[in-house]
Amino acid sequence: MARMKFFCDAERCIECNACVTACKNEHEVPWGVNRRRVVTIKDGEQGERSLSVACMHCSDAPCATVCPVDCFYTTGDGIVLHDKDICIGCGYCFYACPFGAPQFPEDAAFASRGKMDKCTFCAGGPEDDHTSDEYKKYGRNRLSEGKLPLCAEMCSTKALLAGDADVVADIYRKRIINRGASAFNWGVNDLNLGG
Amino acid sequence: MKFRTLLIVMCLALVPFQAFSQDDKPEPGVFMKDPGAELWRQVRQRDMEGVGISQVRGVDSGVLINARGDQWARFRMTQLSTYGGFAIAGIFAIVILFYVVRGRVPIEGGLSGRMVKRFTDYERVVHWTLAIVFLFLALTGLILLLGRPVLLPLFGKEVFSLMASASKEGHNLFGPLFLVSLIMMLISFARRNIYEKGDLTWLLRGGGLIGEGHASGGFFNMGEKTWYWMVILIGLVISVSGLILVSPSLGQGRVIMELSHIVHTIGALILMTVSVGHMYLGSIGSEGSLEGMKTGYVDINWADAHHDRWGKVCHEQDLIISAEEYARLQGQKPGAGEMETAEQSK
Repeated sequence: MARMKFFCDAERCIECNACVTACKNEHEVPWGVNRRRVVTIKDGEQGERSLSVACMHCSDAPCATVCPVDCFYTTGDGIVLHDKDICIGCGYCFYACPFGAPQFPEDAAFASRGKMDKCTFCAGGPEDDHTSDEYKKYGRNRLSEGKLPLCAEMCSTKALLAGDADVVADIYRKRIINRGASAFNWGVNDLNLGG
Repeated sequence: MKFRTLLIVMCLALVPFQAFSQDDKPEPGVFMKDPGAELWRQVRQRDMEGVGISQVRGVDSGVLINARGDQWARFRMTQLSTYGGFAIAGIFAIVILFYVVRGRVPIEGGLSGRMVKRFTDYERVVHWTLAIVFLFLALTGLILLLGRPVLLPLFGKEVFSLMASASKEGHNLFGPLFLVSLIMMLISFARRNIYEKGDLTWLLRGGGLIGEGHASGGFFNMGEKTWYWMVILIGLVISVSGLILVSPSLGQGRVIMELSHIVHTIGALILMTVSVGHMYLGSIGSEGSLEGMKTGYVDINWADAHHDRWGKVCHEQDLIISAEEYARLQGQKPGAGEMETAEQSK
């Protein structure tokens, strides 16, 4: 079995937000919910970098540890999914997650939290594959069709990679070799010369 | 001998420190930061400065990695729920053990039948409203804190999810009512709970556990006053942190909510633990205590035994009513009898 991972190459991401838009459109996620977002560090300064971030499908997921109703599970592909029929919308996964992946649609009453929504690695949920129930709750199930997550598939600079961790790591390793791994060759503008 | 060793260690500690301070001069040549390392230091928020920006609008959306979340998760899972569970189980064990050893404390000289008014109807409504809301919130809160290790294996995920969902919604809905009844409690009982002369003696006597006979007490004894101020102060802390948690759309960040959750839970666990003792002493632990909150009247012998300074005032001001008068009041006045059934039907 593969071990599915996302990887975002900070040297390639151009903050076009196409991954965010593609995800929202593909899964028709509710208003106010963003399964993926692009964060820019040092915006407009020397050394500006952007990273696209969503659920990182942790091996030892903190969300699963703190969930009071134990609604998380890890698939054979190493994808962390959750059961919306079990989820009570308490928000503990949101506190525990380092990446801010869990999202909550606002429920009607007093703007309290609805059931949690997060990136599924385009792998749907516990419902049967390609049912309308699954689509409504979790969005498209691309993985069962043999396709990878749409955000990575359509990334114009191939900054965002998704797939088997070994393959992703291999691609990135080759890039590093081409760039030259030395800090002296890696983004000369970043170097703070002088003392 | 020990002192000499300590001295040597201290001298040793000074040596490298001095060496460092000499080497601290700026080195000649080129100083280069590794751009990769710098980037990831910012991503990990190592120095907790300068978050990024994101086109996705939202609180904390510019934070790539929130390291506090893991600390919160570990604290909740290993300390908060474990020790919290032991505290709740422990206080029940202590109370049961105390009951077995000490039994029900009887009124000296038995019940006289002559009664004295202790609480008005309004005061009893305030007390029981707060008590019922508190018990409901305690139960639903405990289901959320300890349900996964305790209840989930018993009921299975589907059934427990329903219980937890109902607990969460109920907890959120009735939580604000706790603050309202707490403020009512503050207004109607604060004056009589101000500490006064003689309270220290009560404390030194351990509330009557140390030495012979009852410890002297006023209308409320020192233990009751301390419980009262605990309820008010910790209750306010719980209410404020609860309001922060219940409304996630106010714009507060994750770190604020993580801290609020910890404060909320620790405060609630303290109140829950002590409340078990309060409920024990107010019911099966001590004869005649429950009458005061049930009917508003207590036996004069009970007042003399537990609150002798207040009992003395009752004698002096001739506030005692006869058994016949009490029976007439209980039969005629619609308040006392109906109040009970109204509380029960809640």
